[in-house]
Amino acid sequence: MPQLALTEAVFYILLSLQKPLHGYGIIQNVGELSNGRVKLAAGTLYGALNSLVEKGWIDALPENPESRKKEYVITKNGQAVLKEELDRLSELVDNGKRILGGN
Amino acid sequence: MRRVIHKIFWVWQLEKEQAWINEMASHGYSLEHAGRLTFEFEETEADLYTYKTLFLKGWADSEENRKYMKFLEEMGIKVVCFINYPGACWVYTRALKADYPDGIDLFSDIDSKINGMKAMSGYMIFVMAMTLFAALLNLWCAIGRDYFSPINFICSISMFVLFTLATIATVRIFVNMGKLKKERTIHE
Repeated sequence: MPQLALTEAVFYILLSLQKPLHGYGIIQNVGELSNGRVKLAAGTLYGALNSLVEKGWIDALPENPESRKKEYVITKNGQAVLKEELDRLSELVDNGKRILGGN
Repeated sequence: MRRVIHKIFWVWQLEKEQAWINEMASHGYSLEHAGRLTFEFEETEADLYTYKTLFLKGWADSEENRKYMKFLEEMGIKVVCFINYPGACWVYTRALKADYPDGIDLFSDIDSKINGMKAMSGYMIFVMAMTLFAALLNLWCAIGRDYFSPINFICSISMFVLFTLATIATVRIFVNMGKLKKERTIHE
């Protein structure tokens, strides 16, 4: 079965976790990547991070004793999912451009 | 300077309560503690904080809720106080207005908004069932026996009023949830 489309929030979270980041860092990174368009709310991020850990797409790293903030990083499975989603999005963009005549 | 205000908000008036607390904050009174009928404010500079009241399933000190509150603290959203009710808790949080100028929004997509509403609607159904049971029990005690009991009759009427208000609030939640579900068919 082909993978279901990811939500925008999940796509950007996976993209942000190429390096370990804590929750606030993810929100800031997603904001920067999307030029401020996507503003992740704390409750939405919390639910998404828990679901992604359960699915094995990201790992929760041991808590840093200095900052006492939990960091997350993408797993191999997560990378594969992200790549598949990128292919799906490319297909959408290519078809859109072909039919509407854009470049 | 501390200011104590006695005020009642029912379980379905979470947003109204939050709007009132934020209005107090805009006048320089920041919430420091809330009880079931009492709100304690500390005089601070106006608009220093923005507040958000949360409904959470389970008690505030459950492992899951403690993890969630710790996560919120990492986001700069601090827990001011909480009140435990049977099977749920109300949590009063705040953040610096400078960090959250548009207020604290906990859900930024439709699915998480729907999940938040589902949890609230489940609890409201529980409240409806309890108030209806209390209303019917008091009604039976008032008129179902050999003598008429005015106290039970008044209690029964009060419970029916609460049941009706809870029902209206629950219907509103379901209507809003329906609108969001419809929206989700075309948008995320």
